[in-house]
Amino acid sequence: MFLEISGIRKAFGTGDGRIEVLKGIDLEVGKGEFCVLLGPSGSGKSTLLNIVGGIDNADAGYVAIGGERLAGMKEKKLTAYRREHLGYVFQMYNLIPNLTLRENIEVGAYLGRNSLDVDELLQTLGLYEHQRKLPNQLSGGQQQRTAIGRAIIKNPDILLCDEPTGALDYNTSREILKLIETVNKKYGNTVLMVTHNDAIKGMADRVVSLRDGAVRKNYRNEHKISADALEW
Amino acid sequence: MKNPLNKRYIRELKAELGKYLVIFLLMTGTIGFVSGFLVADGSMIAAYDESFEKYNIEHGNFRTSGKLANDQKKAVEDLDVTLYDNFYMEEELANESVLRIFKERTKVNKVCLMEGDLPEHTGEIAVDRMYADNNDIHTGDILEGEGREYKVTGLVALPDYSCLFSDNSDSMFDAVKFGVAVAAEDFFEEFDEDKLVYSYSWLYDKAPEDDIEEKKKSDEFMEELVKTVPLEDYVPRYLNQAIQFTGEDMGSDRSMMILLLYIIMVILAFVFAVTISNTINKESRVIGTLRASGYTRRELLLHYMLMPFLVTLAGALIGNVLGYTWFKDVTAGMYYGSYSLTTYVTLWNGEAFLLTTVVPVLLMIIINYVVLSRRLKLSPLKFIRGDLTKRKQRRAVPLPVGMRFFDRFRLRIIFQNMGNYMVLLFGILFANLLLMFGLLIPSALDHYRDYIENHMLSEYQYILKTVPYEDELETENGDAEKFSAYTLRTLDSEKYKSEDITLYGIEEGSRYIDLDIDPDKKGVYLSSAYASKYRIGPGDKIRLKEKYENKTYSFQVAGIFPYESTLSVYMPIQELNETFDRERDYFNGYFSDSKITDIKEEYIKTVIDKEDLTKLSRQLDVSMGGMMRMVNLFAVIMFMILIYLLSKVIIEKNAQSISLAKILGYTDCEISRLYIAANSIVVIALLILSLPVTREIMEYLFREIMLSKMSGWITFYVDPVIYIQMLLMGIGTYGAVSLLEYRRVRRIRMDAVLKNVE
Repeated sequence: MFLEISGIRKAFGTGDGRIEVLKGIDLEVGKGEFCVLLGPSGSGKSTLLNIVGGIDNADAGYVAIGGERLAGMKEKKLTAYRREHLGYVFQMYNLIPNLTLRENIEVGAYLGRNSLDVDELLQTLGLYEHQRKLPNQLSGGQQQRTAIGRAIIKNPDILLCDEPTGALDYNTSREILKLIETVNKKYGNTVLMVTHNDAIKGMADRVVSLRDGAVRKNYRNEHKISADALEW
Repeated sequence: MKNPLNKRYIRELKAELGKYLVIFLLMTGTIGFVSGFLVADGSMIAAYDESFEKYNIEHGNFRTSGKLANDQKKAVEDLDVTLYDNFYMEEELANESVLRIFKERTKVNKVCLMEGDLPEHTGEIAVDRMYADNNDIHTGDILEGEGREYKVTGLVALPDYSCLFSDNSDSMFDAVKFGVAVAAEDFFEEFDEDKLVYSYSWLYDKAPEDDIEEKKKSDEFMEELVKTVPLEDYVPRYLNQAIQFTGEDMGSDRSMMILLLYIIMVILAFVFAVTISNTINKESRVIGTLRASGYTRRELLLHYMLMPFLVTLAGALIGNVLGYTWFKDVTAGMYYGSYSLTTYVTLWNGEAFLLTTVVPVLLMIIINYVVLSRRLKLSPLKFIRGDLTKRKQRRAVPLPVGMRFFDRFRLRIIFQNMGNYMVLLFGILFANLLLMFGLLIPSALDHYRDYIENHMLSEYQYILKTVPYEDELETENGDAEKFSAYTLRTLDSEKYKSEDITLYGIEEGSRYIDLDIDPDKKGVYLSSAYASKYRIGPGDKIRLKEKYENKTYSFQVAGIFPYESTLSVYMPIQELNETFDRERDYFNGYFSDSKITDIKEEYIKTVIDKEDLTKLSRQLDVSMGGMMRMVNLFAVIMFMILIYLLSKVIIEKNAQSISLAKILGYTDCEISRLYIAANSIVVIALLILSLPVTREIMEYLFREIMLSKMSGWITFYVDPVIYIQMLLMGIGTYGAVSLLEYRRVRRIRMDAVLKNVE
């Protein structure tokens, strides 16, 4: 399996204040699969995403991508791993304020060995005519599309999305989800998306539902629908 | 592909032009000044060193009461030296200064013509350039002497008077009231022989190779010389302040300047580190995202370090260009304002380039690397969460429950910015040190002058010559009181310059020295200036040595006599005479509050009056006044820039909170009361706190400067007004900066928090 998550445990705090956020997560995601991690606040889904992304450590268990395990990797190697395999999209867009939209995307392109064509991606993102604008001249949706562009331009193996529509309105959220779906189809990246919006599971290949740090449901979505058809 | 982050630099520069410009200007100015100083200093020191050979500077000189006979000269020259007549005549001019006129020199201590022509005819002289500057004398001017007029044909520098000491035992030179000049030989022959001073310069047949040999040779020569001719004065070159002081002073300023540059560079490096740390705070989520996407810590570190590096490099390069062009002349002007130097040629100074270019850049890199690499060490997750604290749990400092909301808020801002305030504290301390130095020197000199004028032992001190008939030295003047004086020197030490100490033997119940000498208590009394300078107290022992011999004397200190004007020792007259094998009733001077008119002038060696005692403060005033104004200006600029930059950081750091406060309905004025008032409280507290610390540091520095650079002693005195001036300057400067802060608060937009844009 392309992404293998096995026996992941994670706790925060010590003594009486210790909270176990992940209680032994096992999960497998295939290459090019669109996987949605669902769950209420505090269920541990973002923590799991961060562990997969190599920006947080698990107390036990391991994550392996293409057979390569993250556990035990030194800081330098972890950075190289993220550089090579991962793209990140957060709820807040985290764009560089004094770089134009195009330059923000180029910041991602710089990291990739076989980066995609920036112009083509700008067309795909629907941002071509805005490419010379600074982030503060863009709407929230445009900023998030830029953030997705920045993550996808280096053509990562896995695209990690942490509540990418959390700060957006209904229409814009659908646009963004459509974009992620298009990217997934067009470039074949594995997508791992964290959301608390139950409706989004409809567009996923795989749905993993977390509650209290454990996997409650893990199934392949046999009735996958397009992002355009999502409603909530 | 080039790193797209590089595109930020120009935009960052444009967006933060004010910040970068002030740092750049301060850096360029400082580096330029120090580079110019080092270049001029190096070139002038080289010219000074070369002048020994170029102008054939004497190995020493001695003075006799009369002209040496030929056989005496031959006997002296048999001591492996060549003698040169270097006679002079002193003329009191109408401007109340004394001009020492030499015969034009052709073989030794040759003259350097700076402007105009050398004198050729009767009535013509060429005067020292610096003395001329100080007295507004120009080529072509006519100077009025005692019954004679002198036409100035040119301005010169005499290499044996690069520093215008009229007497080698003076604590300071006086280039206002004393000058030197040369006259053509024919004209000099016309001078009244009675007024001539018979000074002889000598050159060893075999020049000593180093200082140790020079000292040894000089001691041996003197020992033999005293057997051959009766000496009035003996000044080997290595002890001649008129020759050596300039070289020593030029060299000693160098390290101070370099230190000044590095202190400023370190402060600016920390200012950069603090402002960039603030940028990192602001951009923490972006940094987290970049790190999560695979940017390495090193790439980001280099990215954030590049601007300070470039600004410093640009400042260093442009500063050096300015140093070699404009600032070099400023420093040369300062030296020419203090010393009577010969001409110099600007030399390329590789060491100066290294010290003012490579070292500042390295300092900037090292400090920023240390601070920023620690800052960027946090995990990507912490950056994404905006949690930039290293501690696991950040607890709020508990504040009293009853405290007003605004006060609590201000305290929280202060706690949040402790790091910035630490840098500010160092900046304020440094700026205050400069400011205090600039304000203190003129005030300390005034105080010293007032003290001398109001605490003179007597209006006049007459030092008499040794004459065959001692009756001729008696006076009918009722104010006159005899004393016996003897001059010894302090011992050589690595730290202090050896200097003259006058020992006074005073009469019992003296009217002028109010000293209740206890006959049962053995020992001598030290002037408080002497005691302060060398940190000597009652019960201590002092050791002094003969000026021209190696004989030393020890004295037990019985007490301190409160007298700050000179370094002197007091004891009963009989005791002093006994110590130096003099007759019991011997005396060689008078204290008197009125002029003594019944002793022949030729029997009077010197008269010490107010004018003589205030020489030190007068010269320091002339040579340092301009520099002090520059130091003050620099301190104010430094202070303004630091406060501006650091308070800007604090406002920017809180831009989101300020934006939110605006959304909640707080007015600009209320927000300013919170943020600017918090800054104001800290700045004023730091300003007040820094005053006693500054005073302590300054007292230490002042003492070190006095010990290493000057004979004599000026009491460290800080006029209380200086503290008020410093405080007002600090508050005034901050007031101006806080107006800019207020403008900044007003400019923060409400959507900053809503749109998550910077």
